[in-house]
Amino acid sequence: MALGFMALLLIISLLLWNYARGAANRTYDLLLAGAALAVLERVSPGPNGPSIDLPSSAMEILALAPDDRVVYRVFSPDTGVITGTTDLPVPSDMALQATPVFFDAPYGDPFRFVLQGRQMNSPDGRLWVAVQIGQTLEARHAQQLSLFLNGMTGLAGISLIGLGFVWLAIRRALSPLRQIEADLSARSPGDLTPVEEASPSEISGLFDAINGFIVRLDRNLKLTEGFIADVAHQIRTSLSALQGHLSLAVDSKDPKKMHARLVRAELQAERTVRLTNQLLANAMVIHRSDRATLKPIALKPVVRDTVAEMLRDSRMRKIIVTFDADQVADGEDIVIADALSIREALRNLIDNAIRHGPPDNTIDITLGIEDDALALKVEDAGPGIPEADRARATERFTSMRQDTAGSGLGLAIVQAVVDGHHAKLRFGTARKGGLSVMIAFPRAIGRAATSLFIIIALALGLVVPDGAVAQTITIFSATDTPAMAPVIAEFEARNPSVTIVYEEYQTVALHKAMLAGAAPDVVISSAMNLQVDLVNRGIARRLDMPEAEALPEWSTWRSELFGFTFEPAVIIYNSELFTPEYLPKEHRELANFIRDNAITLEGRIGIYDLRGSGIGYLFATQDAEQGMQSQRITEILGQSGVRTFCCTSDMVAATASGEISLAINVIGSYAMSLAAQDPRVGVHFLSDYNLVMARSAFIPKIAPNPAAAELFVRFLISEDGQHVVATQSQLIPILEVAEIESWAFSQLRAQKGSFLPIRLGPGLLTYLDNLKKSNFLEGWDASVRRSR
Amino acid sequence: MRILLIEDNEELAGTIVDRLRVEGHCVDRESDGNEANDLLRHSLFDIILLDVNLPGKSGYEILRSLRARGDATPVLILTARSQIDERVVGLDAGADDYMVKPFDFRELLARCRVLARRRSGTASNIFVAGGLSFDRAAKRAIVAGKDVDLRAREVQLLEILIDNLGRMLTKEEVADKLYSFDESPSMNAVEQIVTRLRRKLHDTPLVIKTARGLGYMAYVADDE
Repeated sequence: MALGFMALLLIISLLLWNYARGAANRTYDLLLAGAALAVLERVSPGPNGPSIDLPSSAMEILALAPDDRVVYRVFSPDTGVITGTTDLPVPSDMALQATPVFFDAPYGDPFRFVLQGRQMNSPDGRLWVAVQIGQTLEARHAQQLSLFLNGMTGLAGISLIGLGFVWLAIRRALSPLRQIEADLSARSPGDLTPVEEASPSEISGLFDAINGFIVRLDRNLKLTEGFIADVAHQIRTSLSALQGHLSLAVDSKDPKKMHARLVRAELQAERTVRLTNQLLANAMVIHRSDRATLKPIALKPVVRDTVAEMLRDSRMRKIIVTFDADQVADGEDIVIADALSIREALRNLIDNAIRHGPPDNTIDITLGIEDDALALKVEDAGPGIPEADRARATERFTSMRQDTAGSGLGLAIVQAVVDGHHAKLRFGTARKGGLSVMIAFPRAIGRAATSLFIIIALALGLVVPDGAVAQTITIFSATDTPAMAPVIAEFEARNPSVTIVYEEYQTVALHKAMLAGAAPDVVISSAMNLQVDLVNRGIARRLDMPEAEALPEWSTWRSELFGFTFEPAVIIYNSELFTPEYLPKEHRELANFIRDNAITLEGRIGIYDLRGSGIGYLFATQDAEQGMQSQRITEILGQSGVRTFCCTSDMVAATASGEISLAINVIGSYAMSLAAQDPRVGVHFLSDYNLVMARSAFIPKIAPNPAAAELFVRFLISEDGQHVVATQSQLIPILEVAEIESWAFSQLRAQKGSFLPIRLGPGLLTYLDNLKKSNFLEGWDASVRRSR
Repeated sequence: MRILLIEDNEELAGTIVDRLRVEGHCVDRESDGNEANDLLRHSLFDIILLDVNLPGKSGYEILRSLRARGDATPVLILTARSQIDERVVGLDAGADDYMVKPFDFRELLARCRVLARRRSGTASNIFVAGGLSFDRAAKRAIVAGKDVDLRAREVQLLEILIDNLGRMLTKEEVADKLYSFDESPSMNAVEQIVTRLRRKLHDTPLVIKTARGLGYMAYVADDE
């Protein structure tokens, strides 16, 4: 107990210590972040690269931790340190990001750093500028200790008070129990009045149980008292008669009369013996039905053995006995019963037939199945019981005939056995004229056999749990069927028990279908924003797949949505019209390029129709995030009579045929695969940035076959699956698949530094806001359709 | 017959002894389990009537050591406990029959006669019941002074029935005893053999009782 409490205390201390460190870090990280923002804000491009006018506010923010030392530097990866301490440590694997990154590193003393970058336009193009600020840990440590001690003090106080309350509550709650204890121990054994006490509701059930028990005990006692009184009466009467005959015999002077008396005395003794035996049997049967002695037994052998045993009695020499159990197969005769009680019942039924029937009586014993019951029937050719008397035949001490020395207990014993087995007792007239008694036992075989069958079937592997049975999974996908076909074929080859049904959708239609409640097993789409929107609604299943750890961080979200391709947005052009050198190098040159070639490009530039294409909208909004130039480009495109397309393939075909000269923000995977086959189509990357999107997959929570679906998604992002994507489909895998040489891959490697992946996450929800979206599209319409 | 009664209750023992002597039997009586056990080591009896609850050794212990010595004297257990479980223990321990107290003296005598018959039929080669005399060694049955023409199976069946007088045998048990392991017995054949044997013994006191669905039991009618 004490040990357990110590362990608990230790755990709480550890948790609290960690919590305090986290809280202290969060507090002081805000200072670092605030300072970093303030610094970055003051970075500006200058004629000789970026420069900085260090703001005093930054230092003032840091001074809120008065005892800590501060180091800083502002630098650009391209041009080197602009100002500050030059040799601040940075973990080697850390990339520059636009969000603040916090880390601990030693710089003489232990320091905590923030590193935050920012991209900016300069005359030489876009470049990264970063600020790194470090602070010693004194204030943090002080804060951590203080939080910890305060927490522990509070905890200790509350624990002590709590213990006090618990002690009081237990005492108070148990006080009625002490009263019962006093009440029960003071009682005489005969006092069976209910316990009366105002009890709290928590233990009123206990009071009800105790009182219920007392009531049952009382009832039982009264029954027993009644039985004992009956027994005493019966035995005394019987013994008195015996005594009377014997004393008359002793007093008799006439040997003949004396003999007659003795004969009657012997008969009376016989009756008394039988009465006693029956009373004991009755008590035994009732006692055994009270105790839980019932267990599954086969009835047939019990009946056969009992009858065979009774046949040894010389009274049965002339009696014809038959036993018919042909209707019941071995194993079908299982009942939940007490064999001893059943023997006693059967013995009494046969004994009745012997006693009340003629010396050459016929006793037919049948075991059969009637409905859901096992029916044990004993019929004879004796006088039977008139129908009117049958109802009271089972009452104790009711003998139907005085001349046959019946004790009046035989059928009462049978009735007690029947009651103890939840069986039914039925009287009728036998085929041979005598009494027919049927006991119908509820059968145990139905239930037992069924469960046994299941166990055997499981053991034999007939019923196979979920997994290895043939399954069909349905994929709803906004990806061209030919692009996915090789991956699906390979998956099916590796998992012969799984069949895939692939249904192709447009991105927007797929989104609508899912919102309408469709239940496929896997959902795949290139529209990252729409996928994020679906997952953000909580309809996706969480998947813990080891393969997901290899994926880049930007391409997974919540362990529910997984990107599996790497698809840059590219410019394609008709190579008969342009040479690559002539094309613009950066986004900001694109507008000028179009204006400069206004005449040749009039009506000959292609873009996605943003209203119909999810992927087009995604690329356009992400471009807008990158700066003002995208708005300008859109306007100039509008002036040049830009043409809109629904899909990549149309744009590529139009470019190849020369119908258009240029297409912007085309999905690179398709474009590159088509360009590889058609020399008239060129693929162009810009050098400042190229957006990259990932085709992503998730499994809905309501998927009918989630296990098989997970197998498929795991395959998609596994090295093997990615290899199939790389080699057999026109898509580009998200993992870098080694040892593959192709034109497309060498192009991608050459552009490696310029890729700007779109991050799967709530950031994509901004442009899905209805108002924001309609504003954006109206602006786009206004620009693009101005020419018409 | 020479009968040993092992019973510690004086009153009950007295009446049983008197009754058996009236019937002309020679009765010894023991009241202590250990003494009875010692006596049985040296003396031979035709039937032992054995109470279960005894001072010294219990009836079951006496029975067990008797059988362990290879003594096949028929034993009839007398018990006041009515629970079947204990009776089975008694029979498993090698008892030939049992009766629950209080019992009818006539029934006790009848059971004794059956045991004696069974014993004489098994122990000696000649079994005699009324007009029937059966010689095991010669495999000959004589009824009213005339040879009965018995087939081999019928002789076998007669032996089986005599060995199990007063005991119910199922048809399957009879078949198992009649036929060797590699013969395939048919139940119809058993029925036919029983029917033929019964017809041939028709005028003798040996009765073969059939209880349909249960089996066969032979008993000697004169005895009762």
